[in-house]
Amino acid sequence: MVRHNIAMAQKLTRREWVAALAAPALAQAPAEEESAEQLLARARQDLLQGAERLGKFPLPMAVEPAFVFKP
Amino acid sequence: MAAIPEDAFFAPVTELSRRLRDEEFTAVELTRAFCDRLEKFGPRYNALALLLREEALRKAREADDEIKRGRFRGVLQGIPFGAKDLLSVRGKPTTWGARPYAGQVFDYDATVLRKLDRARAILAAKLAMVELAGGGGYRYASASLTGPGLNPWDRTRWSGGSSSGSAAAVAAGLVPFALASETWGSILTPSAYCGVTGLRPTYGLVSRYGAMPLSWTMDKIGPICRSADDCGHVLRAISGGDSNDPSSAGKTFYYNPQLARRPAELRVGYAPVDIEEWAEESARPAFRQALEVIRGLGVKMLEVELPDLPYGLVAGTIISAEGSAVFEPLIRSGQVEQLADRKQIAGLKAGLEISAKDYFKAMRIRRVVMEEMRKLFASVDVLVSPSRFGPATKITEPLDRPARPRPEPKRRGLRDLGAAGNLAGLPALSLPCGFAGGLPVAIQLVGRPFSENNLIALGRAFQDQTDWHRRRPPVEPSTPDR
Repeated sequence: MVRHNIAMAQKLTRREWVAALAAPALAQAPAEEESAEQLLARARQDLLQGAERLGKFPLPMAVEPAFVFKP
Repeated sequence: MAAIPEDAFFAPVTELSRRLRDEEFTAVELTRAFCDRLEKFGPRYNALALLLREEALRKAREADDEIKRGRFRGVLQGIPFGAKDLLSVRGKPTTWGARPYAGQVFDYDATVLRKLDRARAILAAKLAMVELAGGGGYRYASASLTGPGLNPWDRTRWSGGSSSGSAAAVAAGLVPFALASETWGSILTPSAYCGVTGLRPTYGLVSRYGAMPLSWTMDKIGPICRSADDCGHVLRAISGGDSNDPSSAGKTFYYNPQLARRPAELRVGYAPVDIEEWAEESARPAFRQALEVIRGLGVKMLEVELPDLPYGLVAGTIISAEGSAVFEPLIRSGQVEQLADRKQIAGLKAGLEISAKDYFKAMRIRRVVMEEMRKLFASVDVLVSPSRFGPATKITEPLDRPARPRPEPKRRGLRDLGAAGNLAGLPALSLPCGFAGGLPVAIQLVGRPFSENNLIALGRAFQDQTDWHRRRPPVEPSTPDR
């Protein structure tokens, strides 16, 4: 299936490429039968993606963490 | 012995207090009647964790003795209530809604329960909750030792989480008020779904000593009641400094509705896109009407928008890192596998792997969030937005993906107000504001830290103009389930 997609992809336009790459993310709706290992892998993946997004957020060096937290 | 009239089960605390003093019924009669209802209807909504009938009746007798002697200790005296099962009660099981802790017993009472005992309120039951208050992130409403919280308005719908039993019990007239907790949405969501009034206090205003920790820097305890006014009375009793809680702000809340700012003096921020695009279509008429009611109170309405910050990601990272640290012994022991929700098990395990770098980054962005919220509250006094954008979900529906994906609106509006408000430790009040498809929906008022009096005053004014908070679900078993 994957090989087939790659073969097809050689004829895709840039826009189609973007759509094709986004498709797996959109289809990520988890199946009921996911195993414990799959669920853990997904949780780790989510954290990894979150960490990447956090890493890209620009912050001046002077910004301290919200410790001790006081509203 | 006086029979308790049906209307008393849905009466506000202030009214019950007056009727107790007028000797229409005694605290023992009232407590026995509520215990009967808890026993009869609690399991119907999976709302009951533990009935405390004997202890409650003993306390009710003491309250009656005091009332007879003319010793009035305030409006909560002789009033039964329920507490989320994450609050420890000495010598009784405190399960945190989770199988691994089903046999857990503490030898001390949570501070909030001691304070309510001092006000002579009567703890009648411990109420069901999502296991570990949802730590790790759950997929299904069934993530609880007591099964999915069922909504009194429609038992095929969820009562919301994680304070499921607290909201359902108040909505169904099983207790006059209940204690709940919120880390991110756990008071406001069930309050909105069940059509009751919930107050999330400012972080640090209410002691968490004796409560299950999930996130040290985000956990709050607050009341779920029949009205904004009742929330004020309960908050008055449970607030205050506590040397046992390192996060205590050392402040006490004095309920002074007469001293709060009048609506005409308030600037209320709102975002039209919240209602016209983010909200589910069926709920929009109720939200529009609620906004008109608020406008009609004479407040100055201003259009606002939250700054573009990753609120949800930051809140999720912090709760995940702190929650997994809290429950590290459970995870390492393997007992985590006994939890009901498999996604939650995975989430707790993965949370242990969050790096210090990422946690600190989230906490630094949180500082920016707090600063931005401070700036926003320089131009407004209160923010108003839907508590949830639609009514309660079906109990079978996965909570981590929408039933019907919709195109995302271009403007942010106040969509992330829940995450932003919890990150900044801001108080919020959820007010029922109508129905969508026969299910309650609600708006939230959010204010500056320690501005609970303003929120409650505005909530009272709203509830003086509406009767959504007085609506009752069909509780009798003879009523056919929808």
